[in-house]
Amino acid sequence: MTTLLELRGLSVDIGGKTVCRGLDLSIGAGQCWGILGVNGVGKTTLLHTLAGLKPAQCGEILVNGKHRGDYAPRALAQQCGILFQDYLDTFPCTVLEAALIGRHPYLRHWQWESAQDMELARQALNRVGLEQLEQRDITTLSGGERRRLAIATLLTQAPQILLLDEPANHLDLHYQVSLLDQLMQDCRQQNKAMVMVLHDVNLAARFCDHALLLYGEGEYRAGASADLLNAGELSALYRHPMTQHRTPAGCFFLPG
Amino acid sequence: MKRALVILGGLLLLAPACFVAALAIGSVNLSADALWAVFSGTAQPMHYELVYHLRLPRAASAFATGGMLAMAGVLMQVLLRNPLADPYILGISGGAAVATLVSMLLGLGGLWLTGNAFIGALCSMLLVFGLAHGQGSWTATRLLLCGVVIAAGWGALISFILAISSNQQVFGMLFWLMGDLSYSANPYPGLLVMTAGLLLTLPLGRQLNLLAHGELMASSLGVSVQRLRVQLYLLASLLTAAAVTMAGTIGFIGLVIPHLIRLMGIHDHRLLLPAATLLGGSLLLLADTLARTVIAPQQLPVGVITALLGIPLFLLLMQRSMARTA
Repeated sequence: MTTLLELRGLSVDIGGKTVCRGLDLSIGAGQCWGILGVNGVGKTTLLHTLAGLKPAQCGEILVNGKHRGDYAPRALAQQCGILFQDYLDTFPCTVLEAALIGRHPYLRHWQWESAQDMELARQALNRVGLEQLEQRDITTLSGGERRRLAIATLLTQAPQILLLDEPANHLDLHYQVSLLDQLMQDCRQQNKAMVMVLHDVNLAARFCDHALLLYGEGEYRAGASADLLNAGELSALYRHPMTQHRTPAGCFFLPG
Repeated sequence: MKRALVILGGLLLLAPACFVAALAIGSVNLSADALWAVFSGTAQPMHYELVYHLRLPRAASAFATGGMLAMAGVLMQVLLRNPLADPYILGISGGAAVATLVSMLLGLGGLWLTGNAFIGALCSMLLVFGLAHGQGSWTATRLLLCGVVIAAGWGALISFILAISSNQQVFGMLFWLMGDLSYSANPYPGLLVMTAGLLLTLPLGRQLNLLAHGELMASSLGVSVQRLRVQLYLLASLLTAAAVTMAGTIGFIGLVIPHLIRLMGIHDHRLLLPAATLLGGSLLLLADTLARTVIAPQQLPVGVITALLGIPLFLLLMQRSMARTA
């Protein structure tokens, strides 16, 4: 298995608070990691650092075996893409135009989007169920539709490493499950890697094969979900009693 | 896309039509025949003088000024990610106005006025840039706050100068402040800056599309946001400085033209920028023609007309676009 994203001794701070200290992590192709922790522990900050939007205090980030700093910005965007927690639209544009910006990393300076780029954007809209709305103005979309559009833009970008900040936000149950299912299958079949910040422990248990638990003050635990996602660990993580229930459909957690 | 190209084509036709109107209408109205005679060199000397030495330079100045303001408006709105931003919001016009008013107070005229206006605009631009830059990175909010505060400072200075000037001087000053094209006899610098500005901003078009979705979004898709922002700030500022130097502070064009184009359904900045430049130029040209003819021989400040023309146009398009999306 090839390592797509490697962290060596990564330390990340935000506003004088330590998110993680000396984090060593190796994220391989086909793996799906969940980052869990209480509010304000720095999950989003860590994800932004991985995406290169924030500098780390110290440590190294290797993307596909190469130092992140050695990539040109657009070459890095072909490797690594991020879904943000929220989207605030100031200016009008159509749903198709918004999905098409995902092609930016692949286009040369003067190049316009080709018919093929359009086709990729349409396929992505199709996958998130927005094909009927491609000419709609994005400022008129509902929260869930906007969220699906953001996922479509990420699918159009088609990076090797997908960083997702609370991907289930705003989505109804059907789309939470079907979209994460699709992303996961992509990840396995096309040897991509996914790292997602999640609040719902049950989604993490269902979709993530690995977990990174952030306890605050720089403490963390990382490993296979099977070892980390249990009532004891999660109760300690959330400082709230949790119970684990096994059913024929899988196991799930309930707050006590 | 097809629709956008049709609109752009329409605007390409609108511009020469506005030029013809501006050349034909005035204290002496020229018929189509008379105008044709001027261009083919068979007209009487007075008509020739009228068109080539009075109306054409002024028309070209008006077009260039309107084009630059509209372009600067698009860039400022994306840079600050604020639909209410206009070219004057960061205090560039204030700096130019203070420099010009001080020159008027000192009794300077002609080239001194334009030269000092440009220097004032540049000083204001560097001041805001320096303050917003501070140490390290600058955010859109910080830039906006610095600009608005400096603009308010210039506003206070302008009021102070108006208060200590004589009645006679105040009239000229107010006219300059409201925007006036009657001094701009030489259109070439403006046309040059407008063309250069367009050629420099067009290659940034796709990056602007991304930046309009937010800095983090643009950054995550491979745009060097920090560099792009500096480029946008400098380009928008220089365009504004050139426009203010030519014609004082003409309101409305820079704020509303970008929205007018967006309401027509053009969102891609590679098309939006040329479309806004054409429409801004045409609208200001039309407004200036009206300003010098409506109550001739008296002239109205052109800013009054741009607002009176622009507001109903804007409301109409907004109404239509709301009906379309509902």
